[in-house]
Amino acid sequence: MTAIAAERYTGASIKRSEDPRILTGAGRYVDDIKLPGMLHAAFVRSPMAHARVLSVDVSAARALPGVVAVLTGAELEAMTVPGPDALMALVGWAGPTPEFTLLATDKVRLVGDPVAVVVAESRYLAEDGCELVEVEYDDLPPVVDAAFALDPGSPPLFANLGDNIARVHSRHEFGDVSATFARADRVTDLHIDVHRHQNVPMEGRGCVASYDADSGVMTMHAATQSVHVTRIAVAMRLGMEQDKVRVLAGDIGGSFGLKIGASREELAVAAASRAVGRPVKWIEDRGENLTASGQAREESFDVRAAVSNDGDLLGLDVKMIVDTGSYPGMGAMVPDIMEAMLPGPYKLAAMGFESTAVTTNKACYVAYRGPWASETFVRERVLDLIAKDLGLDPVEIRLRNVALRTDPPTMMITGRPLVGVTAKESLERIAHLVDLPAFRRRQAEARAQGRYLGIGVATFIEAAPGPRSPEGPRGPLDLESMRLQLTEDGIVVLFTGQMPHGQSHQTTLAQIAADEFGVPFEQVRVVVGDSAVVPFGLTGGSRSATMTGGVALHGARQLKAKVLDFAADLMEVSAQDLLITDGNVWVRGDPASAISVTEVAQRAASGPSGDGAAELEVEATYDGGEGGWSGGTHCAIVDVDAETGIVKVERYVAVEDCGALINPAVVEGQIRGGVAQGIGAVLLERSAYGEDGTFQSATFMDYLMPTACDVPRIEIEHLETVPLDADVNFRGVGEGGMIVAPPTVVNAIEDALSPFGVRIYEQHLPPARILELIAEGDSGR
Amino acid sequence: MADITLKVNGATRTGSPEARKTLADFLRDDLNLTGTHVGCEHGVCGACTVIVDGRAVRSCLMLAVQAAGSEVTTVEGLAPDGALGPLQQAMWDSHSFQCGFCTPGFVMQATAFLSDHPDAGEQQIREALSGNICRCTGYQSIIDGVLLAAQRNRTLGNRETLSEERR
Repeated sequence: MTAIAAERYTGASIKRSEDPRILTGAGRYVDDIKLPGMLHAAFVRSPMAHARVLSVDVSAARALPGVVAVLTGAELEAMTVPGPDALMALVGWAGPTPEFTLLATDKVRLVGDPVAVVVAESRYLAEDGCELVEVEYDDLPPVVDAAFALDPGSPPLFANLGDNIARVHSRHEFGDVSATFARADRVTDLHIDVHRHQNVPMEGRGCVASYDADSGVMTMHAATQSVHVTRIAVAMRLGMEQDKVRVLAGDIGGSFGLKIGASREELAVAAASRAVGRPVKWIEDRGENLTASGQAREESFDVRAAVSNDGDLLGLDVKMIVDTGSYPGMGAMVPDIMEAMLPGPYKLAAMGFESTAVTTNKACYVAYRGPWASETFVRERVLDLIAKDLGLDPVEIRLRNVALRTDPPTMMITGRPLVGVTAKESLERIAHLVDLPAFRRRQAEARAQGRYLGIGVATFIEAAPGPRSPEGPRGPLDLESMRLQLTEDGIVVLFTGQMPHGQSHQTTLAQIAADEFGVPFEQVRVVVGDSAVVPFGLTGGSRSATMTGGVALHGARQLKAKVLDFAADLMEVSAQDLLITDGNVWVRGDPASAISVTEVAQRAASGPSGDGAAELEVEATYDGGEGGWSGGTHCAIVDVDAETGIVKVERYVAVEDCGALINPAVVEGQIRGGVAQGIGAVLLERSAYGEDGTFQSATFMDYLMPTACDVPRIEIEHLETVPLDADVNFRGVGEGGMIVAPPTVVNAIEDALSPFGVRIYEQHLPPARILELIAEGDSGR
Repeated sequence: MADITLKVNGATRTGSPEARKTLADFLRDDLNLTGTHVGCEHGVCGACTVIVDGRAVRSCLMLAVQAAGSEVTTVEGLAPDGALGPLQQAMWDSHSFQCGFCTPGFVMQATAFLSDHPDAGEQQIREALSGNICRCTGYQSIIDGVLLAAQRNRTLGNRETLSEERR
């Protein structure tokens, strides 16, 4: 054991147990799965954005040696159970459900819409087969932007919807909106756009489906954020009982919200395996991933802000249009979270919110790290624009408006208590760390030399998991389960429904359980990725720190009590007198009495059969305890080259409060990774469509992501948190960086360009756009 | 199909790949060396980087038949006995990675770079690794790992170690 044995693992940057395998190439990702007799799938995809499918001729493909099967959309419909997208069904979606087929049948709705699947002896041959499939299309006018989608004359993507409105989130008012706007000194109207960009995990989607006709069992090797959600989706679509579907997952090469459940393609591959009676692998290539896996954001906001002359943000009134692309799912659901979160940590007196979700001939809107993040972008942009109108500093206007910690806590105007939120502290700390007055002096000097430096701050909160809900757990994700076991060889095993894809759960959960149980870190194993042995769960929504960290802590406590009961009989003492430290059970005050946990486990295993105490296993659940908010303030300093439009992020500082840290290096990795994605979203990344709906960013030469030269060192300071719960004060940190970095960077760019009179109402600012803004600024927009 | 012979991680290997088969697919499918990952198939992301005759190359852009007669090192070749090499150890110590999919490419690119530039500083390392994309980390922890490996190498005066790995 290492020297740290006597100390707590929780709170220390314990080296990850995942790393030895991933650093040596011994990780096991879905594309590494090879099964006997395995075939390979490739999809024929639509080159058209919107068209009727007149005919699909697969005869030449079927005749190609090496091709085992070619299945069309109609054939797949005949062999599966129709119904909505499983995820929408799972969340109890009550809106209109558009036709949802695994492959296109009568029409295609986006470039990349799958039309047929070719199954062959190799991927090379499967793609050869795709070349031979002839599809006859009849063009329909593409619906490429939200404005056209809202036009009643636009051709509906889904005949059963009748128009291109996926969902209307009708107007809600919180507080007295009209009175608040009536008494405001100023009302500012503005329009803010957030562009379409996407997850782009380094590993795309993929699966190996293996159907065994004898047992009737489908085994699905998946890249998923939840083996159970995938299992439910496969069972639903294939019309199988859930116990006949087993989902396995190994290492997963990132996701960021993309790999929840099973996609249309993955379900088609499962159906194909059942049809041909052999295992079938599909690994998404990068072109497919960029074109058809899903995209995010693309929302526009009409905002009215009620403001006092002193800089109090009194009210917001927001009308959002969200472009959900084709096949609406997440995009139709996200307005509810945006509405709830829009006030952030600020004491608004009133708020109005309404939203319309439209369908267009673009990739589906999927969850991407902080799917509701645009609420923070809008709010933090509005605050800076107001500050500019009033001649206030960006930190000053935020300090004026942020809710202070009071008892009882301030309620967000949308209803939840801002308990334990340290937004004010984070703002003060940021101002100190970057020495704002010194920066302003440097900025003035630089401007005199024709260099444009700017500073931006933005503040956010994230419900990770959010304060305890008075009505208790509301759904399966509000209650986390874990099975814990002390094995015969003395290993504490945690079975969790979390499906880590970079989050380091095999390390962090072991840290917590090792501390609570009293064994060395190395004596804890975290089992993930097998629907036959792990409980229901989902990695997402920044929920695992609290929910799974909490169930690991309480579960380890329960298991320890069980082990001590058994040891007490064994050692003929009272359980109350026993301790477990460093893997040994001993009588308080008598170190010589120590016997190892392993020995206790062995004695339990060899004890008289039927002895209940010998079953050293517990099933634990956890409801999140007191919960709480994550949040903080970020600050960027940028250097904008007014000749080239190139923005360099010179410095980036994050002050965050995610509660008690489980593993600081893991937490900081999450923050930096999110910030890098946020910097990419502003400076580089855009999922671009032409006017005819062609997809224009289908390679990494077109969809640009930040490299090691684009992301600065990110300085991170953790605020001492306000403990809310007796035991569990870990809070989630997965999404915050991506939520708050875009407004932070845009605010800094606008500050840099203030000599040009530039006001920014959008999020994507590549060099060409910066130059346009400078030119427009001069013309006095 | 063409019969080829090449040296992979020090061992002589033979195969009969189709002319169109990429080196990445040959390593993964024919030789079962799945440590090499395919991230974009068009030479931009660097996940598939391996070392061929001393140079870091993108195995998705090279055909297997082009590697005939060459010496290829993959990530599996850096820790043949299971123990981590010094760069891998430094990356572990630095919490360099998260999901691990880009990892083999970074490890191979940095291995090749450090053997030629043992005294490289941060900016040079950033530029050398700017052809590899990581979506999880924001790069800082990876750069720190490479810096730590370089520093340890200098401290120990064992620059040969990395050069040997490359061979």
